[in-house]
Amino acid sequence: MSNYFATVGVEVHVELKTNTKIFSNSLNGYGEMANSLTNVVDLGYPGTLPTLNEEVINLAIKAATILNCKIRKKMHFDRKNYFYPDNSKNYQITQARTPIGYDGYVEIEVNGEKKKIFIEEMHIEEDTCKSAHRGSKTLLDFNRAGVPLIEIVTKPCMTSGEEAKLYLEKLKELLFYGNISDCKIEEGSMRADANVSLRSSLDDPFGTKVEIKNIGSISNVKLAIEKEIERQSKLLDNNESFKEQTRRFDDKLNDTILMRVKETGNDYRYFPEPDIPYVILKDEMISSAISDLAMLPDERRNIYTSRGINIVNANKLIANRSLSDYLNNFIDTDMDFKEASNILLGDISAYLNREDKEIIDTKLTNDKFYDLVKKVSDNTLTSKNLKDILVKVLEEDKTIDEIIAECGISNITDSSMLEEIVQKVISDNPDSVNDYKAGKDRALKYLMGQIMKETKGGANPKLVNDILKRELNK
Amino acid sequence: MKYLSLKIEEINKLLKEKKITPVDLVEEAFENIDSNKELNAYITLNKEEALRKARELEDREVDNILFGLPIALKDNIITKGLRTTCASHILDNFIPIYDATVVEKLKAKNMIIIGKANMDEFAMGSSSRTSYFGAPKNPWNKEKISGGSSGGPATTVAARDVLFALGSDTGGSVRQPSSYTGIVGMKPTYGRVSRYGLVAFASSLDQIGTMTKNVYENALLLNAIVGKDEKDLTSANKEEEDFTRLIGKDIKGMKIAVPNFFMSDIVNNEIRDKVKEVIKVLENNGATVEFVDIKYIDNTVTLYQIIAMGEASSNLARFDGIRYGLSKENPKDIDDVYYKTRAEGFGEEVKRRIMVGSYLLSGENAKIYYNKALSIRDDMRKEFINVFKDYDLIIGPTTTTTAYNLDDPMDDPKKSFMDDVLVIPVNMAGLPGLNIPIGFDSNNMPIGMQIIGNAFEEAEIYHLASFIEKELNLKLDPKGGENNE
Amino acid sequence: MKDKLTKEEVLHVAELARISLTEEEIEKYQVELKELLNDVEKINDVESYDDDILIACFSESAKLRKDEVGEMLDPKEVIGASPRHSGNYIEVPVVISGGEGA
Repeated sequence: MSNYFATVGVEVHVELKTNTKIFSNSLNGYGEMANSLTNVVDLGYPGTLPTLNEEVINLAIKAATILNCKIRKKMHFDRKNYFYPDNSKNYQITQARTPIGYDGYVEIEVNGEKKKIFIEEMHIEEDTCKSAHRGSKTLLDFNRAGVPLIEIVTKPCMTSGEEAKLYLEKLKELLFYGNISDCKIEEGSMRADANVSLRSSLDDPFGTKVEIKNIGSISNVKLAIEKEIERQSKLLDNNESFKEQTRRFDDKLNDTILMRVKETGNDYRYFPEPDIPYVILKDEMISSAISDLAMLPDERRNIYTSRGINIVNANKLIANRSLSDYLNNFIDTDMDFKEASNILLGDISAYLNREDKEIIDTKLTNDKFYDLVKKVSDNTLTSKNLKDILVKVLEEDKTIDEIIAECGISNITDSSMLEEIVQKVISDNPDSVNDYKAGKDRALKYLMGQIMKETKGGANPKLVNDILKRELNK
Repeated sequence: MKYLSLKIEEINKLLKEKKITPVDLVEEAFENIDSNKELNAYITLNKEEALRKARELEDREVDNILFGLPIALKDNIITKGLRTTCASHILDNFIPIYDATVVEKLKAKNMIIIGKANMDEFAMGSSSRTSYFGAPKNPWNKEKISGGSSGGPATTVAARDVLFALGSDTGGSVRQPSSYTGIVGMKPTYGRVSRYGLVAFASSLDQIGTMTKNVYENALLLNAIVGKDEKDLTSANKEEEDFTRLIGKDIKGMKIAVPNFFMSDIVNNEIRDKVKEVIKVLENNGATVEFVDIKYIDNTVTLYQIIAMGEASSNLARFDGIRYGLSKENPKDIDDVYYKTRAEGFGEEVKRRIMVGSYLLSGENAKIYYNKALSIRDDMRKEFINVFKDYDLIIGPTTTTTAYNLDDPMDDPKKSFMDDVLVIPVNMAGLPGLNIPIGFDSNNMPIGMQIIGNAFEEAEIYHLASFIEKELNLKLDPKGGENNE
Repeated sequence: MKDKLTKEEVLHVAELARISLTEEEIEKYQVELKELLNDVEKINDVESYDDDILIACFSESAKLRKDEVGEMLDPKEVIGASPRHSGNYIEVPVVISGGEGA
């Protein structure tokens, strides 16, 4: 295997998050009753014509922007002609000659080094219907027919399964954050094909290309490519030649399986779709789509780390988009992000998971959260206090102060009451007081512990510390 | 009493005064159709539903000039609940579940659909002889063709069964049969009328057109069916207008061009002579008529063959025996469904065009033929637009001959294209064009003249057409009835 | 210029078009298709000004549709028109290889 250089390219189809299909106004949905989300256009009835969904163009502009692609301002659609039962017109409407985006890149980090994965082009097209094979029959469900897709094609610029995996993870994160697609591989809203070829020297032309279709997960993409490199290496070692072909990855066998050998190349008889005139993108349309774009992961990561969140927590936030979006509401405030992220990823996440809720489903207003973080950060609230009041904070329409009062936490932050306790602890522990005065720091900690014990952990440590020192230094 | 032979204003008045009802008109139309049964103008009659609709209209206010009038539709226009076959075996049991946009518009005017008229299979042909249901016959001579592909609509209007019909025109399919049968047929500007619900033959050329016995009624019918349609991206964003507004006005100062190609020896002498006579009449009435050359006009049949067959091969791929229509029984595999259904379902002309079209788009051919054709098509359209910088209209003969015999051989695959050599350029350039009858040949078969306008200038075409109609005052009822223009 | 297509050429276009042909038809189309193809060869004698192509006449730019859901068909209507179906599905003889398209 080490004798060969692998060249890997990846083609990804993602379904766009729109209300309706690309060329008709039926619902773009998943998991509904078979053939309940169709109309005469999706079914290719005689006389029907495509219309073009505005939101598809918007999302494609956003995707092109995220992928650093150039955007084509005048484009048309093409028909890709092939007979197949999942294709209601026996042609697919796609963009073969004028893809909306081209010449882009996605940056990944391989072994600590940045690498650009170049995007050849990205184009808009329609999805096919779903077919299920049952014995001697194939059953067709046209709910998916006409769901909008973008296909993103890289240049053959990757060299390993690991790179392909990193690229796909990054792509998924970007498209998800751009609100372009759900990117759920298991539901088929993101699908990946990989092209693999080997050559003995980087000066040689590319070797025979093998396409691996419809791989079910990102980790399987890595595996499939590695297995395919292994398989081709063996063949080359034995001087066995092979033809350009399409294979699939079987994760049970952990190997790629031959689907078909390309004989003459597919004859798709592309020609410009006469039912759709040129689409001309006005500058306003492009700029309004771009300005509508949500903040992307890299920018979030930069902001989070620059505001004191460690990289592990920053990544955890980004992996949980609703929390990250929530935190972003406070970018323009002086909030302590480090404390905020601890609260979000800690107690709040635990609550949300337990209750199977989203943060927007709770009673946590922006003002409340701001106040909560502030009180934790200035030690008005201890971590135990936080745990005690959190359910109320999330479930009741009350301010933090009201909740604190209600829970009796305010008594402990009351300094006169604390002073009494401090006095008591000082008079009960004269030895420790002497030790402190002799410069032993441990004594202070002990006294603190005693006070906390007296208050059952409910006292504000900062306040206790202040009062204790003041009293000891008298 | 034959109400349908009255002037349209008189029929409208009688309806308004409740002296007659739409039922009288519908019954009369079906009597006419029945007496002309041997012309084979229809594939499907809509008798029950038409009468039901007519009765429903009896109590309604007569709110427009087309109210309650029967109309025939070419059988490639989709009608909800009414069989739509495209004259093909592959759809001979197809009952659509939606209406074409034009059908919705006709229904909004309370017109009554009388039936689905005969045609060439999938509109491919020039004599309607490729129909799975047999060819319609020319009312002027039953041995002759009615032309095509809108042969049925032309036949039923020429025979005076009904006042109105809609056809479709991809490469002359409204104008050529109108010429052969002595009626007025308009192919509007591409985009003027929605194509939603017109079964596609060649999408970039297809346009629904109006077929009537006179110019005024033609303009009225066009008024009813035009307009931007959200369901058809190629429909043009144009304000509604009254296409009758220039009818009857004089033609003094009008500048008219005649392409030399249209008067070359590809056109038979009798027809050229008739056109020359008309040119004289126009000049005598203050119009200027000049001969011009239009580049590429003699290449349009080649362009048409490539574009129309290429698009057709893709448009007709959906007829595969899976979702609707004919399907091979007990197929052994999926290929059996495709190959056998299509072999059995399509007629020869259609198969030939699909195969040639597939070839023209295959591999490198798409570039050599199809793209080249689109490129020259663009140039040709610009040539036409240039002519309209200097001229108001273009005229010439509609056809090179008059209607020929039904039993003439059909073995020359090029014949159906050459029949349309004069009408095809209009589709290639997307322009409006109309056939107006201008006389008869020595066998008493109608001769037609074509009037071509600039894009969206149908009103100007009707202007000249109405003038010619009035000046010539021809007897255009094949049974010798009186004119009623 | 040869006056007919080979049998293989006819079978190739018949395959693209998914139309089965009898031996008789193949012979007929060898001649007829060639005649039409000779005709379209004339395009090679025509020069065009530029590479602009005409896709749809008189439409400056496609008007985009708002992303709003419209009426859909009842599954019964969908399968009602199809020659073969089971449950809410349209049915075809089993298709083994994967889809060619998306």
